[in-house]
Amino acid sequence: MTEQDVIRLVNEVFVDSFEIEKSRLVPEANIFMDLGLDSLDIVDLVVALQKKFGVTIRDDERVRTIRTLGDLQQFILTLKKEIGK
Amino acid sequence: MKKYDQIVVGGGVSGLTLSLLLAKNGKKVLLLEKGPHLGGSLIRFYKKNIPFDTGFHFTAGFSRGGILSEMLKVLGIQDQIKPIFLSAPGSGVFVFEKDNLVYDMPSGTENFRLKLHQYFPQEIQAIDAYFLKVKKVYQATISLDLRKIGLHAQAVDEDYLSLQEVLDALTTNVHLKALLSAFCVCYGANPKETSFANHARVAGGLYESVARIENGGEAFIRAFNERFSQSNIEVCCNTTISECAEIKNDAVGRFILSNGESVTATECTFTIHPQEVLKILPRQYFRKAFLERVAAFETSYGFFSVFGIVENACPNEFGPSITSLLPSTNLNTLLDPNQKEDTALAIIRSVEAGKDGKKYCVVNAFQPEFYSNLKQWADSSIGKRPAAYNEYKARQAQRITERFSNFFPQYRNDFKIIDAASVLTFRDYLFSPEGNAYGIKQKMGQFNLFGKLPLVNIYVAGQSAVLPGIVGAMLSSFIVARNLIGKEEFNHFIAGELTN
Repeated sequence: MTEQDVIRLVNEVFVDSFEIEKSRLVPEANIFMDLGLDSLDIVDLVVALQKKFGVTIRDDERVRTIRTLGDLQQFILTLKKEIGK
Repeated sequence: MKKYDQIVVGGGVSGLTLSLLLAKNGKKVLLLEKGPHLGGSLIRFYKKNIPFDTGFHFTAGFSRGGILSEMLKVLGIQDQIKPIFLSAPGSGVFVFEKDNLVYDMPSGTENFRLKLHQYFPQEIQAIDAYFLKVKKVYQATISLDLRKIGLHAQAVDEDYLSLQEVLDALTTNVHLKALLSAFCVCYGANPKETSFANHARVAGGLYESVARIENGGEAFIRAFNERFSQSNIEVCCNTTISECAEIKNDAVGRFILSNGESVTATECTFTIHPQEVLKILPRQYFRKAFLERVAAFETSYGFFSVFGIVENACPNEFGPSITSLLPSTNLNTLLDPNQKEDTALAIIRSVEAGKDGKKYCVVNAFQPEFYSNLKQWADSSIGKRPAAYNEYKARQAQRITERFSNFFPQYRNDFKIIDAASVLTFRDYLFSPEGNAYGIKQKMGQFNLFGKLPLVNIYVAGQSAVLPGIVGAMLSSFIVARNLIGKEEFNHFIAGELTN
């Protein structure tokens, strides 16, 4: 899976499951402030991403440093690479 | 319009617990139950004067300082709930029917572990590694300690490993693996589906102690009802919420009840099946991702149950005991809805006092049953079932009688079936969706519906939220109560009640 694939699929989750317009999905968008998710949405985001990418996302330090859409895309890319090893 | 501080939806043990906790903290509570009686799966029924359990048979949590004893103490009902420990030899037996192997397992984690050493001398390392892991998870689960209930729960590695993966890494011995995973029948998911952590949180308690309760679930219902009559709790049966109205700033302003009345409350907590919650709440307030998560939950299985007595048996030698008959060592196939052979069968023997004052030697035998397999009769209701369904029930009961009599030949001639129930019976009498026994299936990687919802004055608790079974159901209510009452105040309340 290329970086472009990951970005496209992550964005699909925001469009399909959170009904956020595509134009707002820029890498520097803050997930909370710009995209409007709140702490209760995060669980649903995790579940949707797990399903989309077939990965398990743990509640650990790495997840807690994610702020922007770009951070999230990079995090998923790293996860996919780890599984591929 | 009537005004309440809190509404609790669902009169099972979770709703009863939450209502009483809220009332004890000065709240005016309205408790709604869809069925005609409070109690949910705690309810017993009487036939020929003999009491039979429906959904509650035994529990963990009564050992010294155990979580259930502590919760009952906080609720002020500990004196009315008398545990009868299953600790005598023969009270916890696992049988591999085809291999003719019988394992008589003692009570107490250490005893259990050492007995396994005797049965499997080649597997001592695997056994010890298993119990170490169970202990590690159990200790890391802070919610199992009421004094630490509000701390942030950290996931452990074992939340991301299936029970099957952990067992496969420890040993190749199929009998040992089956014995270590057999408690999965107590939470409704098979070893491949559930995380080791979920298994350890339930099994860890059951290794420590297993107890029945004098007068069964009825003792709980009586104790709660007695406290309710002295509290600021209004109970309304045959009623649920039919509509949430006047929603402003994501908060529900008015609750319309199924009896037509409108009420207001600061907050409302649902303790019912998660998918039933979403049938009541207005969908436009939830994100699609949220609705998808809840829709993906699978319902756990239920049980086909046979209720019987052994006539002429000696009450002093009749339990209490649990005998688990396992036709094979693979729990995954045994708990697969598509398999057509015998499945795991639990047989509970106990002596119960009848309404006529006599003592009865009661047998409650039950095996997992899947709603999907009874779909063709799902539209039928009590008293109006088709003949084919009744034939199915008779066949199941007959087979259970055969297996029971094979293992207990001494009761063969004196065993009398008084009644039988399928998941459809449980669905229609206990109002559990699909007649399930444990709410939703606790699958690995799943995030349960729990706590505050996107509608800010709506909360969710119940056995699907934290852990299945009575301990998990009550615990979820303690955690939600802390949010509703205020953290400081609740901590103070718990500490006070526990030191009294």
